[in-house]
Amino acid sequence: MSKAESRSSVKITPGAVVCDECELVGDITIEYYWFTGARTVIHPKARIVAEDGPIIIGENNIIEELEDIKTRKASRYDNCTLFTRGVHSDGKVGRNVELTSGCIVGAMCSVTSNEALTENSIIYGSECDRRIQRERPPAQGLQIDFLTKILPNYHYLKKPKAGTPQRAT
Amino acid sequence: MELQDEFYNNPEYIETASGNKVSRQSVLCGSQNIVINGKTIIMTDCVIRGDLANVRIGRHCVISKRAVIRPPFKKFSKGVAFFPLHIGDHVFVEEDSIVNAAQVGSFVHIGKNCVIGRRCVLKDCCAIADNTVLPPETVVPPFTVFSGSPGSFTSELPECTQDMMIDVTMNYYQHFKPIGKGKERHK
Repeated sequence: MSKAESRSSVKITPGAVVCDECELVGDITIEYYWFTGARTVIHPKARIVAEDGPIIIGENNIIEELEDIKTRKASRYDNCTLFTRGVHSDGKVGRNVELTSGCIVGAMCSVTSNEALTENSIIYGSECDRRIQRERPPAQGLQIDFLTKILPNYHYLKKPKAGTPQRAT
Repeated sequence: MELQDEFYNNPEYIETASGNKVSRQSVLCGSQNIVINGKTIIMTDCVIRGDLANVRIGRHCVISKRAVIRPPFKKFSKGVAFFPLHIGDHVFVEEDSIVNAAQVGSFVHIGKNCVIGRRCVLKDCCAIADNTVLPPETVVPPFTVFSGSPGSFTSELPECTQDMMIDVTMNYYQHFKPIGKGKERHK
């Protein structure tokens, strides 16, 4: 068990791919539902700090390197990629913003208002313009599949707590 | 113009036989897939993702602090593939930039805080201004400057860009000097 895990309560559901080099502080739950085919990948050097409340990272997320998530109260992320200031989400997402599914926050854009974004909204460009996408962005399941296969070859992974049922391969 | 000497803490960097200076604080994932050709400086907190695909970096490049070099991926109908990332010679990547390009030519300058989208192609002798966001699959032609978000063409570069970039990167390497005692010999 790594240092970060021992000084905080990080719960990793079996099957989530969490690289050992990332920093997890505070009360964090990383969920993974093998049966629904949903999963989460956290790249090395991502930083997740739960300061004011628990962070729940739901299904189908990819959190990339140098990503810095600090808490908002009991945040929950589902079905989004948190790219390094890169594609899907991030830019900066403020404390009270709720990202709903299908949202894309473009690179270097920021949302700091107090609101829940409508589904499929996109924030883009230097002025942080907004619009609603007609169709949902394609699922990134394939990418997650690929990463789940390849990352264990190169990285040590954070293990789920002992006692949680292991997934059947 | 003569560059000022920039000193680094000697034990913090590893100097290889071919003259690469790589910070111990940088993260090179999948190092067996990363080829750095020589006299390249990789600074503190850089991330180079060799675990996703091969990364080749030419000679006399400078990758500044907190830059991220990661191979791009492409979705196919059957799965996802990551593509190898080639960076040419005399390329200067400034701080906090993210390079997700498929190919970066030689004599390229990438400013601070840039995001080079997935599968962009940066040809030889081009420049990306600070804070630029290049959308995915952009091609930046030679001798152009791209800036803004989303990045677009703003100006041209002179014909001497190649010599200027050679000058800048070589000078930078020469003025990047160790301070204090290290394990390596100091020439």
